[in-house]
Amino acid sequence: MAGVAIRGVGLSSALGLDAQSCTDALLTGGGKPELLSVEGFAEPVQAGYFRIPDGGELFDPERFARLLPAVVRTAVAGARLSAAETRALPVFVGSSCFSVGRSESDYAAALAAGSSSAYPMPHCGYDGLADLARRAIGSAGESFSYNTACTSSANALLGAMRALNFGRHRYALVIGAELANRTTLCGFSGLQLLAEHARPFEAERDGIVLGEAIGAVLLASEPGADEFCLLGGADNCDTHSITTTNPEGESVLAASREALRCTGVDAGDVCGIKAHGTASPSSDLAEAAGLRKLFAALPPLSVLKPHIGHTLGASGVVELVLYASALRRGLMPAWAGFGKPDPELGISPLTRPVPAPAGYYLLNHFGFGGNNAVLVLEKRA
Amino acid sequence: MIRVVSTAQVSNPMQNGAPLPSLAAELKQVCREHFRRVDRFIELAVLGSGRCAGGHMLDPDCGLYLGSGLGTMTSTILSQEQLLRDREVPTPFNFINTLGNSAGYYVAKNLRLTGQNLFISRRGASLPAALTAAWLDLELGVVRQALVGVVEEATLPLEEHRHRQGLPADTAVAEGSHWLLLEKGAGSGRSFRAQHLTDPADYAATLATAEHEGVGLLPVAPSFPFHDSWIGAWLTQQLQGEGTVLLTEGDESRGWDLFHFGA
Repeated sequence: MAGVAIRGVGLSSALGLDAQSCTDALLTGGGKPELLSVEGFAEPVQAGYFRIPDGGELFDPERFARLLPAVVRTAVAGARLSAAETRALPVFVGSSCFSVGRSESDYAAALAAGSSSAYPMPHCGYDGLADLARRAIGSAGESFSYNTACTSSANALLGAMRALNFGRHRYALVIGAELANRTTLCGFSGLQLLAEHARPFEAERDGIVLGEAIGAVLLASEPGADEFCLLGGADNCDTHSITTTNPEGESVLAASREALRCTGVDAGDVCGIKAHGTASPSSDLAEAAGLRKLFAALPPLSVLKPHIGHTLGASGVVELVLYASALRRGLMPAWAGFGKPDPELGISPLTRPVPAPAGYYLLNHFGFGGNNAVLVLEKRA
Repeated sequence: MIRVVSTAQVSNPMQNGAPLPSLAAELKQVCREHFRRVDRFIELAVLGSGRCAGGHMLDPDCGLYLGSGLGTMTSTILSQEQLLRDREVPTPFNFINTLGNSAGYYVAKNLRLTGQNLFISRRGASLPAALTAAWLDLELGVVRQALVGVVEEATLPLEEHRHRQGLPADTAVAEGSHWLLLEKGAGSGRSFRAQHLTDPADYAATLATAEHEGVGLLPVAPSFPFHDSWIGAWLTQQLQGEGTVLLTEGDESRGWDLFHFGA
């Protein structure tokens, strides 16, 4: 598969409201979660959470409308498209939540008002975020909305790359978007997967810390002098369990090998890895096993979730933007707070940023439903 | 060359006040194991895909492209009732079943697939969106086989189901699961090809030719006012006949996708 250029990026995360401030914060210590309580349940729903610092009320359904347009406009501005190109721009969206937060708010309001006609999920469908993005930039292009749990926007990236490789479009906008909602927070709480602190690959890791973020990339089919090229990737489905990856790491290994095969990159030429690193005991175990089998000597490993949380369906695009933005500054990002390594895993993330040379980088994304997606990024000299 | 190896469908028209028909007996015929704690959306997906795959050799890395406009409504509705009306956290399997790709997971488990497994939505045109993704992957050699489907639930009560979608109270509604198995290479079955047109004159000429030749034709514009699975029902029924079939989707601003199915 031919590579596509990353020509523009936009980002809003717990680290800041634009890609530059997010990268500044990432490379100078990163972020910390707040302790969040969702009230009103017999059992307390309490966990760490990484919130976008927009000052808004957490479950305000208007936050997508306030935050997403600026992110996508910034990404599109980076490509200097003509008006006609912008109007034709296709939009690929990956999210776990889509409009569920708006439905929650309207249903809760109807229940509180004692309305006899209150019914759940008053807003259905997955098109709302693509429509919002198109309105923000003036696009009438086609949309594809992906809902494959935590690999949603990684799969949106792969879908967009293939449309560009085939010559269907010259440009594509890819968005990963996730904002706080009760269904996700309480659903993960019910699964007993939430923790107060994100500690991927540590011996004492005890669960996931969720976060919210919106990221966008503008991809172009013909790489020019662009510094970053998304070379390709692969995804597969592991039917070991709907909630956990095969702990032997075989499906992680298969997705990684296929990603390297289809991009023509040797494992020995990989300069660095952006791990999925959720801090879930089983997910980290599977990822570590897959990585150990793939690499004779493990390249430097970065984890981003201790800084922004697990942004679920948004993480494919959001972590690509954040990782590439750090590489652009010449550094592979690190997590200084990493504590005691887990001897069973046999891998540890970077604790101090190290120089990021030109070359190939691997980005891992795994999710519920057995989805595994691995992307290959090239930083060009 | 890409061929349509098989098609299959599940289609249940719904009546006001009537319960959803049980799928248990039909599921037994296509399932290798009994799946517990699955919802209606998953059952529909497993049943339709199982019928489509029945008797055909599937590559383990056959791609799965599941389209849906509404997605996993039953489980999401139940989750919201648990959360906001009953003040309880969603039960784990109910929460997991709200994910769009949970149905794909069970389809993969049933058919022993390990390849790409996607859930794609474009309201009113989720089948064309899924077909487009599959077509690109087949042409680029990402997959050799593609199992493409569209699944829509009808949730009860039907009055709420219609209201949610902004449909008039007398609109006929159905649940559906409609599937095609596409394969690249020589063999039997209808040919399949797709193209993307951006010139309105080219599109108009293609439509005129199709009408002149008596092709089974369905042009779908954005905001198509029917349930996404209606297109799947139309297509799978047309493909059970003998003539050539043309499904189009798009408009002047985004271009048109044309899906040609040979006789």
